[in-house]
Amino acid sequence: MSSSPTDVQLVDVLMPQMGTSMTEGTIVAWSKAVGDALAVEETVCEISTDKIDTECPAPVAGTLAEILVAVGETVDVGTVLARIAAGAAAPPRRYSPVVQRIAAQHAVDLARVPGTGRGGRVTKQDVLAWIEQGGNGAAPPADERPLHSESPYRPEPVAAPPPAAPDDLGGVAAPLSRMRRSVGAAMRRSLETAATCTTVVECDVTHVERRRRELGLTALPLIARAAIETLRDFPELNATLEGDTLTRYERVHLGIAVSLGADGLIVPVIHDAQELAVEGLGARIKELARRARARQLTPDDVRGATFTITNPGQYGALIATPVINQPQVAILDLEAIVKRPVVVTAPDGSDAIAIRPLVNLCMSWDHRALDGAYAAQFLTALRRRLETP
Amino acid sequence: MAVRTYLQAISDGLREEMRADERVFVMGEDVGAFGGAFKVTDGLLDEFGPERVRDTPIAEAGIVGTAVGAAIAGLRPVCEMQFADFVACGFDQLVNVAGKMHYRLGLAAPLTVRLPSGGGFSGGPFHSQNPEAWFMHAPGLKVVAPSTPQDAKGLLIAAIRDPNPVVFLEHKHLYRRVKGEVAEQSEPTPLTARVARAGSDLTVIAYGAMVHVALEATEDLDGASIEVLDLRSLVPLDEQAILASVAKTSKVVILDEANATCAAGAQVAALIAEHAFEDLDGPVRRLATPDVPIPFSPPLEDALLPNVARVKEACRELLAY
Amino acid sequence: MAIAAELSQLLSDEDRRGLLRHMLLMRAVEERGLSLYKQGKVPGSFYDGRGQEAVSVGATWALAAADPVCSPLIRDLGSHLVKGTDLADLFRHYMGRENPLSRGREGNVHFGDRRRGVVGMVSMLPDMMVVAVGLAMAFRMRGEERCALTFFGDGATSRGDWHEAMNWAGLDRLPVIFVLENNQLAYSTPTQRQFAVNPAERAAGYGIAAVTVDGNDVEAVFAATHAARERALAGEGPTLIEAVTMRMHGHGAHDDMRYVPTELVAAWAERDPIVRFAAAQEAHGLDVGALREEVDAAVEAAVAAALATPMPDPAHAAEGVFCVGEPEPLGNGLAPWSGFAPVEAGVA
Repeated sequence: MSSSPTDVQLVDVLMPQMGTSMTEGTIVAWSKAVGDALAVEETVCEISTDKIDTECPAPVAGTLAEILVAVGETVDVGTVLARIAAGAAAPPRRYSPVVQRIAAQHAVDLARVPGTGRGGRVTKQDVLAWIEQGGNGAAPPADERPLHSESPYRPEPVAAPPPAAPDDLGGVAAPLSRMRRSVGAAMRRSLETAATCTTVVECDVTHVERRRRELGLTALPLIARAAIETLRDFPELNATLEGDTLTRYERVHLGIAVSLGADGLIVPVIHDAQELAVEGLGARIKELARRARARQLTPDDVRGATFTITNPGQYGALIATPVINQPQVAILDLEAIVKRPVVVTAPDGSDAIAIRPLVNLCMSWDHRALDGAYAAQFLTALRRRLETP
Repeated sequence: MAVRTYLQAISDGLREEMRADERVFVMGEDVGAFGGAFKVTDGLLDEFGPERVRDTPIAEAGIVGTAVGAAIAGLRPVCEMQFADFVACGFDQLVNVAGKMHYRLGLAAPLTVRLPSGGGFSGGPFHSQNPEAWFMHAPGLKVVAPSTPQDAKGLLIAAIRDPNPVVFLEHKHLYRRVKGEVAEQSEPTPLTARVARAGSDLTVIAYGAMVHVALEATEDLDGASIEVLDLRSLVPLDEQAILASVAKTSKVVILDEANATCAAGAQVAALIAEHAFEDLDGPVRRLATPDVPIPFSPPLEDALLPNVARVKEACRELLAY
Repeated sequence: MAIAAELSQLLSDEDRRGLLRHMLLMRAVEERGLSLYKQGKVPGSFYDGRGQEAVSVGATWALAAADPVCSPLIRDLGSHLVKGTDLADLFRHYMGRENPLSRGREGNVHFGDRRRGVVGMVSMLPDMMVVAVGLAMAFRMRGEERCALTFFGDGATSRGDWHEAMNWAGLDRLPVIFVLENNQLAYSTPTQRQFAVNPAERAAGYGIAAVTVDGNDVEAVFAATHAARERALAGEGPTLIEAVTMRMHGHGAHDDMRYVPTELVAAWAERDPIVRFAAAQEAHGLDVGALREEVDAAVEAAVAAALATPMPDPAHAAEGVFCVGEPEPLGNGLAPWSGFAPVEAGVA
């Protein structure tokens, strides 16, 4: 993000004392992310105490500079939960000459335009896209489930070329859009770089389904949490490979693929996902998807992933061979959950037929970094975790 | 149309103009019997004879100065400096006599000075220079620098027919490396820029050999749509084309093979900063050879001249800005 | 060179009158110009060729209409006058006023009327010598019966362009006449500090014939140039004519030439080119007094016309750097020598 001026004042947000008997409180949800602008009194986070659930208002206007306590953590009253860089409601953004000119010509309030350029700056494409979308920003599509794939997105240029006349076979030629070209280039580069193989393991998600209903979440954060835990035992998969250099990570920076509709796909990253419980992962995934669709992601939001999960199951496909998100060494694709008759073995050893929801855990992995046996072992370990109540 | 090398196209242009206009003649060191150090004038002596294909002593001031005299007398001399680097020996005649003549005396000096320029082949400090900026800075001289065979021929014809002194930069590294379609009986190429490839995300501005580096570097760069503008003429500079391209893409990288300080690209950058300020979505980037005499050993020379990798990097950085 | 006998055939009485008239004119113009300069009416610097009038007048008198002078230098105003440069335009030019010769873009003796076959000089000497060689080369290429003439001083022979021009012209035996005005000084530098060997002696090293004449004898200068022209047109190549003379004023009006021994100046004053030639013509019956009056009147009229001319319009200061369309050709000058058929000045 853009740097703060050296004389910025950092103001603490403290766990409030809601009643004299309160000694501690738990963070339920963060309403703002680091870098977001805050007006004074605006809700920073939601907390839960033994007496009451409430919100913490921002004591000053400024920008949320640090979050110090994760969702689900319980801390004493008076603990610093977050810090706000006090000052203007947002750090003053600077607009390039062409952006100012276009904004003036179209009466655009640049403060509302999300920036995808370096340091979050508003680029020419950003303001043009804003205008094309009617100045309201992109409304999130009704379907919120993340979809497969990755690429740095860039909105279409304003004017589309006129469609060509059909040729004698009825074919109408048109150049590929920039988004398509960009995605295509990224896909090709990945397939040309990695020795991509795919392994599939079938998983019974009966317990997953039950648990997710209890928590009011989708299956994705549950599977994500299980994957993170399993990666601890299979560190070769939580890694990046560049040239001949393999970098393993103790922390898991989890990429979650998000569909942007006609504007393609993007993979925002949950950094240090290992610190989040299932609910925290669910909330973070929801928040990232929202920001992605509102074009509010920063470059830091999309870099540094060590493992990616994509979840296009809603479209009904059973198996897929996803393309690895460079420079990672693996990507996990969750396809449709389908009820099937399966053989279940009772404790006494007798077999019976039962109806179970099954999903295929499809993982593409880079044979330059690891072998099929390792990949299969990871997937079966993940499956066991998911199938264990 | 025929496919010709850049060198052949220049020869063709010379030959056609000499056939069409008996005032046109060629002058330089080793251009006649030997056919020229690079064989550009090969065969001309046989066809046109020693009065019109003149082998001169080693005397660059003499070549340029006598060309001025002949031009005043109504002829159309086409001088050759054996290497662009040696034009320095004729600098005074070119800048002080030829360049200033029309302004001061109303006397035109329609001469052409061909400069085989540029490096990239271990020519060393005295056989690799790109001196165009010296002459852009001298009032009264036109300066052209083709990158394609068609433009090499067309701009040479334009130079010969121009009533003013024209410095013609032919990049010797392109002589046999670049081939293209060239019209027989070409028309003069206008002294304007040419869009070598249209694009919308970023413009690379270049001339001479650097046009080919620019095209190669931006052919397939992360799916970005990159425009390459070939300046072709440095004096006059096609300001309109430059500003139109910047208005379209808002991001520009300017390439010079010449030494960076006060190279042609510096003038282009100043023009953009002054007249296209409101079209810019990023800083104006320049890539040029550093202010170093061109070294001889290949790894040293390669480290200094702009190349495809460096152009890609600069474009990527600016695209991400 | 024994020329006295042939001179009576070469030069008529009219020629001699003309030669004197042009020397008087050159001196009168320069005296008047210096006076105007001291009155602040002439910007920049002022240079004259006092004491050297015989060189430029005598040499140019031998040229045909189509033989260009490229270029007269700052001591060679006489060359401009013989070729027919308009006097009023000349004063306009000196004073930086609007004029067809230079349009205010050049000053002092840096000019040349291209319509009269005169190419103006540049300050870098002897650049124009090389250009003259190029003109001669063009005449040879086109088989024209023309030659080019150039002036340069003793100092200019030290620069590289002198060598390149000599070598080039001698190699191809081009129809060019090299007039070396040896006036003893290049600004403050005497010839003893300019070269080890006199350039006229070195000419043979380039395959070029050389002759030394008394530069203050206008007839001798004429004769030598005439002979050089004949040689040139006969294909015998260039001639270097060393005209020995003396610069009687400083380098410019700003220079009082205190570095010159007064005895030297006094000795040369005795050999003033105009004084002795005028005396000779008077002895032959020419009314020199009337000639002087006519010359002075012409100069006054020119000065008056020039003073009435406005300065150039600054709006046009940046125009004309490039030629647009067809170039205007180099014209022909006057050729008053009686040995030529009368010609009209202007375009050939």
